[in-house]
Order: sequence, then structure tokens, then C-alpha cells
Amino acid sequence: MYDSIIPTADTIPVHWLWFQVLLILTFFVHMILMNFLLGGSLLTVWDLLTGKLEKRTPGSIPTLVALTVNFGVPPLLFVQVLYGHFFYSSSVMLAVPWILVIPILILAYYGAYLFVRKVDKAPVLSRGALIFTSISLLYIAFILVNNNTLAMVPDRWGIYFKDPGGWNLNLGEPTLWSRYLHFLLAALAIGALGRAILYRYSKIDKKEQEGQIRRNLKLFGWITVIQFAIGSWFWLAMPEAVWKTFMGGSFFATFMMVSGWLLALLILHSAFTGRLTAAMILGGLEVLVMVIIRDLARAAYLKENFHPSQLENVHELSPLIVFLLVFVLGLLALSYMIRLMFTSKTSKS
Amino acid sequence: MNYPVWYLPQLGGGLLIAIIAILHVVIAHLAVGGGLFLVLTERKAVKTKNSALLEYVRKHTWFFLLLTMVFGGMSGVGIWFIISLVNPAATSSLIHTFVFGWAIEWVFFIGEIVALLIYHYRFGKMDSKSHMILGWLYFIFAWLSLVVINGILGFMLTPGKWIETGSFWHGFFNPSYLPSLLFRTSISLIFAGVFGLVTGARLKNKEMRRTVFRLCARWMYIPLLVLVLTGIYYTRVIPAESFENLFHFNRESTPFITLIIVSSILLFGLGLFTLVNSSQATQKAGALVLVVICFGWMSGFEYMREIARKPFVLYGHMYSTGITLSQMDSVNSEGFLKLAKWTGVKELNEENLLEAGAEIFRLQCMACHTLDGYNGILNKSDRLTERGLEALLTGMGKVNSYMPPFAGTGPEKKALAAYIYRELQGKTTQKEVASEAPDLPLEILPFDPDTSDYVLLVWNDLGMHCISDNEKYFSFLPPANTLNAQLFKRGPLPELVKTGVTIEYAVEEGYEHPEYHSMFWEYDEAIFGTDLPEGTGLMGKGVNGTMELQGAVYAAQLIPVLPYRDDKTYNPYPLFTIRAFSESTGEMLAYTKVVAPTSNEMGCRNCHEGLWAWNEVSGMADLTAINILEVHDRYNGTTLLADAEQGKPRLCQSCHADPAVMAPGRPGVLNFSTAMHGFHANYLSGMDQEACNLCHPSHPEGNTNCFRGRHSDVGVTCTICHGTLEDHALSLLAAQPDMEASERLARQLEPVFVRSREEIKPRMPWVMEPDCRSCHTNFNIFGDGFDGTAFNRWVPAFEALYRNRTDNHGVMCSACHGSTHAVYGAYNKYGLHRDNQQPLQYQGLAGTIGTHGQCMVCHTVEMEFNGHHRNMVNRELPAMLVE
Repeated sequence: MYDSIIPTADTIPVHWLWFQVLLILTFFVHMILMNFLLGGSLLTVWDLLTGKLEKRTPGSIPTLVALTVNFGVPPLLFVQVLYGHFFYSSSVMLAVPWILVIPILILAYYGAYLFVRKVDKAPVLSRGALIFTSISLLYIAFILVNNNTLAMVPDRWGIYFKDPGGWNLNLGEPTLWSRYLHFLLAALAIGALGRAILYRYSKIDKKEQEGQIRRNLKLFGWITVIQFAIGSWFWLAMPEAVWKTFMGGSFFATFMMVSGWLLALLILHSAFTGRLTAAMILGGLEVLVMVIIRDLARAAYLKENFHPSQLENVHELSPLIVFLLVFVLGLLALSYMIRLMFTSKTSKS
Repeated sequence: MNYPVWYLPQLGGGLLIAIIAILHVVIAHLAVGGGLFLVLTERKAVKTKNSALLEYVRKHTWFFLLLTMVFGGMSGVGIWFIISLVNPAATSSLIHTFVFGWAIEWVFFIGEIVALLIYHYRFGKMDSKSHMILGWLYFIFAWLSLVVINGILGFMLTPGKWIETGSFWHGFFNPSYLPSLLFRTSISLIFAGVFGLVTGARLKNKEMRRTVFRLCARWMYIPLLVLVLTGIYYTRVIPAESFENLFHFNRESTPFITLIIVSSILLFGLGLFTLVNSSQATQKAGALVLVVICFGWMSGFEYMREIARKPFVLYGHMYSTGITLSQMDSVNSEGFLKLAKWTGVKELNEENLLEAGAEIFRLQCMACHTLDGYNGILNKSDRLTERGLEALLTGMGKVNSYMPPFAGTGPEKKALAAYIYRELQGKTTQKEVASEAPDLPLEILPFDPDTSDYVLLVWNDLGMHCISDNEKYFSFLPPANTLNAQLFKRGPLPELVKTGVTIEYAVEEGYEHPEYHSMFWEYDEAIFGTDLPEGTGLMGKGVNGTMELQGAVYAAQLIPVLPYRDDKTYNPYPLFTIRAFSESTGEMLAYTKVVAPTSNEMGCRNCHEGLWAWNEVSGMADLTAINILEVHDRYNGTTLLADAEQGKPRLCQSCHADPAVMAPGRPGVLNFSTAMHGFHANYLSGMDQEACNLCHPSHPEGNTNCFRGRHSDVGVTCTICHGTLEDHALSLLAAQPDMEASERLARQLEPVFVRSREEIKPRMPWVMEPDCRSCHTNFNIFGDGFDGTAFNRWVPAFEALYRNRTDNHGVMCSACHGSTHAVYGAYNKYGLHRDNQQPLQYQGLAGTIGTHGQCMVCHTVEMEFNGHHRNMVNRELPAMLVE
């Protein structure tokens, strides 16, 4: 039955690997930004609740929302190109919580501005807004986990017929909670790392600066320790055929998994010894490896039903070339604007 | 069909898209024009060293950022989300076709965000030149976003050559690309002006507010001319059918056209307040009102664009149901349920009819319709029967191309109609019970060939006259039955008597007062422009009277006889007794009886709902008439229902010409028969004589069974002579080729009895009808050249119609053979020989007068040659009915 229920995929204009690479790269950037945003927000809430919130609030949260959403667009685009027929189906099944992501995101975004702008004038409102924003981001993450897991298990799509009204969260998914926790802890870890980086470039007392960097790196390290457990839970909660892919089932998948473990160990070392630059590089690499592992896991889940290489290529290269040109020009324009921001400091107007 | 459908029985996905899209699109346009507004206003402030104006720009930038980057940016993702939930097939198609278009747009989007963030956060902290460069870069990125999105939006309406080539660039630079880009750019500038007022109205300095308002007014009014010109240009490049859907015929667009016109007038009318001095409160309120109007304007525009695209979501490629044009053939032949992915019912049978109908509704209709909420099906289907719904599904996308065609097999169509009617409407379709007609007593009058000097032959001109029977709402067939008679003086060579006699007619008992049973005399003045005495017909005849000589016949025209007897018996074949008297002596020369076939078994109710109006037997109920007028008004923009309810019902032929009632009609309007058959053929196509039986009183199990002549017993059906409904309609439509309505009605009809439309010979209704000699070549029963149909072989002129023709001696064809549709040897449901009285009276045989050598009916000597036409004597075929 489920063969017949999987929608027929549309054609793609260039070789599928283009999209695969673009998906991984852009999703990697999105994940970094998302981790900064979600982890940073949650850590700020923690500070707030423990009375450690400083007068200098993290004013970057609204900008992080903008950038996270913006960098969420291309992976959402490329995942739809490769896996759209799975993704749209699962989205419809949980349409209500899925579409609610949008108004909640808008409110969360406004909440982030409210937090930053009203911190002095209306501190209660400001803090409430931050808590609201953080809870909203948790909700969005939870729905994304639901949607992405449901998209990978067409043999569970029969739930649609019991409720076609779009309320089907994928709560029966064995990996749901471990996956959610795994991503959440990653956000906290990278969020802590992000805070350490922010302190590195902030103009505060040197001693305090070093203390804060050390404190946040330690946090990064401890959360990574917990990740060993949660990650293992997540890994082994996956179907046998999937987790075995990473245990010799596939050389590349196993290599990536081993790399992930090794990087985590190195992260622990750099975090607990206070080496920020190493932690930055290792943390970035770890996120990249995890993004690749995530993609390999999806491929393993869908192995019986689909692989992107099955998509029909209609060979139309010119739009890709134009995109690459525009992308390069866009990067140049971005660097020009950022340079302009830093070089022009005198107001003459 | 390919994807699951989000089941939203009240809210509807379409409404969700509309809400998110309208909110987003206004802000997205503002994001483009507003960027230019910011940087040019900053430039002006810097140039004029106006620090107050610069402060206004700074404040407006914050407002602009919160509105465009937060709400605009996030709701843009929202549109993506919602379209992929409501129409995943179309979304997938857009994503896969334009993936690098979207990717390019994302690059511009990030450029926009970074530029705006720096522009805002560094306002006053950079040198003005650098700051303005960022402003310009923001505007360029924002406009480039529009440049990309515009290509994809335009593609959805005018995909151009993409349909053939599938090329990204053909789809992107499509026919509406340029006008749409210019149009949208103009809107974005106008919106920049309107939204500029919001911040402007909050300025404390009165003079400054005045300055800003005048500045904003320039932004609102200068692009207006470009907007109008590009709007006209836009309408010229959209497909002709889209234009029709928007501005003609399709009433769905009316509210949105009204909305865009009213909001335009309000926006640019009320907008003038910006030029006059007013209080700050008024300015604040006015600015907000104008902002609200912008949303109204955009609602009108977006809905019109949506309507223009109907019945497609990707024009010419994918219907709004998510089914592509290329899939239609296989879906129609193999079955929708079989090919649909997300259904629990794969095969249709009697047991799962309603379940299957529900599945089809969910997967096919719910792309646009809810059950009883937004665009609810309940409201839209409550004026049709189950059969009518089936017809509606057959006709979808044909006359009115707003709806996509139904995709599926005939049984699936029936299942959907059954689901809507029985399950959703909660109505029950009663199985039609065959009408049992009483075997009415019949007294055959005597005739003695040895002593009778005269033979009186009488017949009805058409074989059946129908009455539309609800003059309260409209009329197209008044009570009007015409009897013709010929009196022959018997002899070796009989003489057709035309002088010296009076021929009287009288209806049988119980039918003398048609006025007791009809509203005709109540509305005769409103409908026919004449106030007739009760019981009198349109030519001044009552149900009893005298015939008048007209050419070769004595005639009583338009007798207002009804099929209702005073004792509530329904009989569509009331008898008239005809008597011929000598004018000189007063002696009765001959007498006979004839039926005046008259039926109000109007089949309209089969589709348009309503019970029988008269004693649960026959006649058109008010509900049926109302439903008909409602749909006529909706399609044609008429006010017939409202007029009727104000006591001004109309004769349909007052607009639609009709030779049958000698109505000239109105120029540019199809004649009545053409309009009726042309329109309904689109809804009842693919059928045989069952289509005829649905409307006309010809169903064998109906209460009339008007097609009762000898032909009816030898396998001849309506379609053998007239063609199928499609053929019939096409032949009529071909006679009015230059009319838009004719083209509209004919475009989806395919002929059945001929290979192509070009082969169809045009004909005028009532004037050119099938020629009997198409089959009866050489006046034989089955002559040479007979190929089984009389379709497309019309008599050349009115005079050549069977009912008007004579032999060489002036004897009318009908006099001997009987009325059209009831030629002798007829089988009458209300008594086998009710139509055959004269042949039985004069010759004892129910067949043609004179059949089987019965020349002695008129001739007093044996006749051995074909006096009236060839092949009439010595034919070795048995009579169909012999008493």
C-alpha cells in the first residue's frame, strides 16, 4: 500500500548531487545560526531565572532570528527539491501545528525585539517577551522534529486516514524525544560556545572576559558530555537497519559517525582547557559532521522507498550558472556592506 | 491526486492562503517601494539639511523594519508553508521548475536583510553618503527580489512557451512578466507613500507633518498613471479565457472587481486629504484608513489574479485540483480513485458509493471548497438534484471555464453527486416510479363508406405541445395547441373542400375551463403584452370554437387546452370532437375526433429540483422556476428572478428569438432553441435519447410519452432523426456563428453523428428539421440510401417541413400519416388507439389513412396507381397495428 501512497516526484534541472551539497552546506549554516539563537535564548532565560542576567543584554537575538530564518530558506528549498514528495505529505499530516509555526515565529521575532528594546523601560514585559520567544522557538523546533521524522516513515502515513484534519504529530516515533533532546542540547552547547565567542570580542574587563569565556566553554563541554548519552540513545532508538548503517553498514556513514565521536572527545578537551579557537573550529566541524550524519540517516530510513538519485534530471544548467554568479555577486555585496559598516563611522548628516 | 489533502471542512485552504497572501503581499510591495522612499527622503533631508526630515526617516526606518523584515519576511515563508499544505502538487511543480529562481531570490533576500539591518542600526552613525549607499543597495535588492518573484507569479498565469519547452527561461520571462513587473513596481511606490503617512502623522511638528504628507502624496499620485497604463497592458496579455472569467459571464469575479474599483476610488479620493491642512488626530486616523484600504485593494487584485488563473493553478498545465492536463485522459478512462494516491477507496461499487463520493470530494473538490464554510459546497449545490449535480459535474469547465473539469469516470461522477446530494445535503433521491396512465375509454365514431359523402381528417400540427406552466416566474411555452383539418368530398377523384362549410371543434367534458388550472391569464399582460379573456388563447381561440381556412387547411390556432381535467385527472391527450357543417343547409357533413396532445411534464425538475406542481403529477413548481431563474441571472447578469418576484415575469423569447412563437428576440442574443440546447448540451453530453427524455416529455416511463408514433416501436429514437444533444446543439449553434455566446457554448461540444463540426449543416430551429426522406428515400419505408439517421439532412425550408407539406393534390402529409411524433400506428399510453381514432374510424386499420389499399376511404373506386406519392400502393408490408 505504501508504495502506492508515496507521491510521484517531480523532475530536477541538474544532477541531484548539486542539491545534496547545497542542502548540506546551507543547512550547516542554518544549524549554526539556529543553535546560537535557540541556545543563546535559553541560556539568557536561565540567566534571567537565576538572577544572573547582566545589564548588557544580548542584543543580537532579533538579528539572529532574521539570519536564522533567512538561512533556513535554502535548506528548506533544497530539501523540497530532493525529498519534497515526502516532506509535503508529512507537512499536510501535521498541517495545523506546522502552519502555526508561522504566526508563532512572527510573535517570537517581535518578542525578541521587545526583549531588547524594553529591557530598561519595561523590564517585566521585556523578560516575559524573552521567555515567550524562547518557548516559541522550542515549539518550532519540536514541530520541525515531528515533521522531519514523519517524512521519513511512509509506513506510518496511514494515520492520515484516521485524521486528515492535520493534527497528526509524530508522537509514536521512537526517536522523537531523543532526537529533540539531542538537537536541543546541541543548541545549548553551541549557544554556550557562541556566548564565549561574543565575550571574546566584547569590550569588558579582561578578567571578567576570560572568566565568562571559561565558564561558557565549560558549559559547552558539560553539555557535550550529556550529548554522549543522549546521542547514543537517539542513535540506538533508530531502526536497526538505520543505526547499523553507522556501525559498518556503510563505510562512509561509519566514518562520519566515528569522526563525530572523535570530534566530541576533542571538544571536551578544548572546552575544559579553555581553548576557544580550537573549540570554535571543532564545534563547527562537529555540526557539519552531524548535518551529514543526519542526511545519511534520512537516506537509510528511506532506502527501501527512495533515493534522490532516482529523480529524473531534465538537464537545464543555465539557471544554476546564473544562481552561482548571483551568489558570488551577493557575497561581494555583503562583504562590501559589512566593510562599509565598519569603515564609515562618522556621522556627517 | 498525488498528495494528501488537508481536510478543512469549514475554514478552507483557499481562505488561509488568501489571508496570509494578502497580508504578506501588501507588506512585500511596501518593502520594495518603501526602500526607495527611505533613501530618496534621506537624500532630500541631507541635501536640504533638514534634520527634522532626517529624523522622520530614522523613525520611519524602524517602523519599516518591524513591518517588512519581521512581518513581511516571516509571512513570506508563511505563504510557502500554506501553499505547500493546500496545493502541494503545484508548490512542488513551482519549486522544481524554478529552484534556482528561488535560490537567486534568496540571495537578494539576504542582501535586503543585511542592508536594512545596517541601514537601521547605523543610522546617524555613518557618513551620509555611505549610509545612502546602503539605502540604495537595500532598494536594489528588494526590487530584484520582486524581479524574480514576479517571473514566477507571472508564470502561474501566463506560462507562455514553457508549456511546450519546459524551459526555465520561457517560464520565467513569460508574456505577463513586463506588465506585471511595472504594475507591481507602481503599486510598491504608492504603498510607500501611504505607509509613509503612518509615521508622518505621529510627528509632533505641524509643519513637518505637512511637509511629510505632501511628500507622501507625491509618492501616491505620481505612479498612478503608470499603474493605470500597466494595468491595461496587463489585461491585454492574459489569456482570452482569463479575461472572460474576470470580466464577462463569470459572476464570481464581480465582488472583487467591485472591491478593487471601490478601494481605488477611496484610496485616491480620500488620499487627497493629505494635501489639505487637518488636525493630527485626523491625519493619524486618515493614514490608518488609507493603510486599511491598501489591504482591501490588494485583496481585490489578488483575488482577480486568482480568478484569472482559474480553472488552473498553473495555467494550461495543472488544474486547481492538482491534476495536470496530461493526466486527464488516463484519469477519465482508468478512474480517479484507481490513480489517486491518498484514498482508502480504490474501487467503486454500489456498497461504497457514498464513501467513494466522499473520497473524490476530499481529494478533488476540497482544493477550493469547504463543506459549509468558506466557498462551501452546501450553498453552491442546494439548487440541484442528484441528477442535476451529475450534469453540473459533466459541464464543469465547459460553458464557464472557471471550474476545472471533473476528473474521473462516469460512475465516479455519479458517486460524487450522490455524496453531495445525499450525504452533505441530507436529501433523498426518490427512485422515479414509472407513471401508470389510465386506459381511458375510447369510442370510435362510425363511418359508413357506402353512405358517407365526406371524410374529415384532423390532426395536431406538432404531435405534442408542451407548456412551461409557471407564468408566475416565466414562460416560454404558453397553452397553445393548434388543430388542422381537411375535409374531402368522396368520389372517384375526391375533392378537397375549402368553401361552403363550417368546421367546429369542441373539447371533451372536463377540459372546458383551462383558466381554472393555469396562471396564464393572470400574467398574460406581463408576459405577452395582452389581457386575454379567461379561457381564450393567444389567437383568440377558446377550447370550443370554429376553425378558419388557412391555405389548404382549416385551422384552430393556439387553443389554450391543458392536460388537467376538472376532476383532477391528468391526461395529456384530451380529445376534441370536430364537426363539419354545410353553411347552406346546416347539415353535419362529417365528424371525427382527434387528440390535442398537450403536456406540462417539464423535465426541468429532474435537475433543477422541485416537485410536480399540479397534484403531484405534472407541472413546474415554483422552486424549479426560481432555481432556473437564479442560475440564469448568475450566468448572464440578468435580474429575472427579482423582476418576477415583483410581478414582472418575462417571456424567455422576449430576448431569445424564436420562430415557434414568432418572436424576433434581441440582437446579439442566441435564439431560444439554440440557447437551451447549446447550454444544456454541455451538461448532458455523452448521452443518447436519455438526454432528450430528461427535458422533454418523451420518457417512456413518464406521464406523457409523447414520442408515440409508429417509429417508436421500430427502434427509432429521438437521436436517429435529431442526432445526439451535442449534434443537435451544434447544428443550431452553427446557424449563429458570429456570436460570442455561440462560440462559448460550442467550444467543448464534440459531434457524434458526424466526424467533425465542419460537417454539420447549420439550421434554424422550427424552420429546418430532419427530412423524412432522409430515411424514406423514394417514399419507401426503407429506401435505398438509408444509413440509419436523418441528422444533418434538413428540409430546405419551412414549407418543406413534414407538417407543412402536401402531395400534388393539396392533401397534407399529416392528414393521412398523422401528427409529427405520433404518426399513425401510434401507441398512446392513455389508451392504445387514442391517436389512431381516425384511421380506425375510416378504415378499421390503425395505420396510415389509405394503407393496405384502403383507398376507398376517400375514393369510391379501386385505385391502382400512386396518386399521392410513389410507392404507396401494392406494398407488401404488414400494417403495424390492425384492429
